[in-house]
Amino acid sequence: MHSIFIQPVLNFWSGYIRLVTRYPTLGSIFPFIPLLLLWSVVVDAEFFPRSFFPGPADVAKAFYDLSRKGILLAYLEDSVVRLVVGAAAGMFAGVFLGLLVGLNAGFYRALWPILLFFQAIGDIAWLPLLIIWFGFGIKTMTFVIVYTVLFPVVLNTVLGVRSIPLDLHRAAQSLGASRWSILTNVVLPGALPNIMTGLRNGLGYGWRALIAAEMIVGTSGIGFMMFDARRSGSVVEILLGMIILGLLWYAVDALILAPIERATGQRWGMVTQ
Amino acid sequence: MTAVIQDQGFVARAMKLARPALTFIAPLFVMVLFWELLIRIFDVHPGIFPGVSAVLIAGAESITNGSLFLHIGASLARVLTGTILAILVAVPLGVLMGVSPGVSMFLTPLFRFFSVLAGIAWIPIATLWFGYGFGAITFVIFNAVFFVVAYNTLLGVSSIPLQLRHAAASLGAQRWAMLWEVLLPGALPNIVTGVRTGIGFAWRGLIAAEMIATNLGLGYMLFLARDFYRTELIVFGMIVIGILWLMIDRLILAPLERRTIERWGLVR
Repeated sequence: MHSIFIQPVLNFWSGYIRLVTRYPTLGSIFPFIPLLLLWSVVVDAEFFPRSFFPGPADVAKAFYDLSRKGILLAYLEDSVVRLVVGAAAGMFAGVFLGLLVGLNAGFYRALWPILLFFQAIGDIAWLPLLIIWFGFGIKTMTFVIVYTVLFPVVLNTVLGVRSIPLDLHRAAQSLGASRWSILTNVVLPGALPNIMTGLRNGLGYGWRALIAAEMIVGTSGIGFMMFDARRSGSVVEILLGMIILGLLWYAVDALILAPIERATGQRWGMVTQ
Repeated sequence: MTAVIQDQGFVARAMKLARPALTFIAPLFVMVLFWELLIRIFDVHPGIFPGVSAVLIAGAESITNGSLFLHIGASLARVLTGTILAILVAVPLGVLMGVSPGVSMFLTPLFRFFSVLAGIAWIPIATLWFGYGFGAITFVIFNAVFFVVAYNTLLGVSSIPLQLRHAAASLGAQRWAMLWEVLLPGALPNIVTGVRTGIGFAWRGLIAAEMIATNLGLGYMLFLARDFYRTELIVFGMIVIGILWLMIDRLILAPLERRTIERWGLVR
């Protein structure tokens, strides 16, 4: 009697485990199905008023409506473009500054505490001042993202550059390498894993800062959509925004960060987490 | 005579201790000088960026009328409440989920998804559910810390080699001993890293949430000053936020992380 009920469950479970070990992608999608089911059951039980806590079907309908009107795609594009442009600018400036500070002991002594301090102030604390300077708009948001991405990249680049053993510099020099080729062949490759860590942290923070900036100063974007929905009390659109944010990060992670990390990590013989 | 020598020893030791602090502070001091110089040379309007003295006066004012400590107290109380609640719930849950490899494999994507949403993304719905104020902000902080810590605990527990658990079990470890002497210690470095990351997100989320959803706290202080174009108060608030975070991160979180990682003999 007992095993009649238990056995199929166990069989199903072991089948699932086997399937997932063969296709890891399925393993990162499938767990969301019971979550969605649970969500709709809780909503249908009406523990909370529906307008306060809408179900998956409502959110799917909002997704359909908003994307048919073209609003969703436009907002998504705005957010992604801001993130990509800001992150690229912050990344280049960060690596450049990081090399400068990491390679020169004088710069390091003079700038390291200042960098730490500005990193600690945090992007969002700049918003009030930026609004006074640039008003509510794109300049403010760009500044916030560049700022947020910049500091983790700088700090990690400096760490990476300074962790390269001096012997490597000397070996390259004694083999007749010019300063430029030391930079491109020793310093940059040696610091690359750290630079990648910096980029990952920077994007993680920058993306959150973008959402905050869009909520507080924005006139478009996913963060704006969520906050606008909050004003009109539409929980559906807020939930939709949150889901899109989560998926967006998955996309950034899977399409941009993971491939670069795999390439550098494997080539450099390192295992990244 | 001996007293003098001892005294010199003390001074020398004090100097030795103070040196790193001095080399850290000196560049910041130079930066402040530069700031004042630039303001004077270009005659910057105080509505754009304040001079050093204006910031100092604004700071002294907010200290003497007590408003600064009210704001700091409110912000820290929210962070502490949210963080402690989150850790208390997240660690046991993470351990429970991590014990079985199948369960942890199943739940990892879910927790990754929610730890990505940490912090700011919860602000709109939190303010709608809890209204403006303590509840909404604590909820945001709780979420920022909870999912990151639970996810890291899960990772930490599931990364403990199965042999260790088998060894402990074959030596007669009961459930309780297994939890206290194998699972929790093994996951501790991950837990601490999770806490540090989580509080990092929570702190930013706090400032953003306070700008939107309250009438007390450091973020609110900044945003209120913006309404009156009081840049000197904004800059003072930014400096306070920077110093507070440096203190939280460098004096509490970073040493905690370093110590657990060193004690566990892990080198990163």
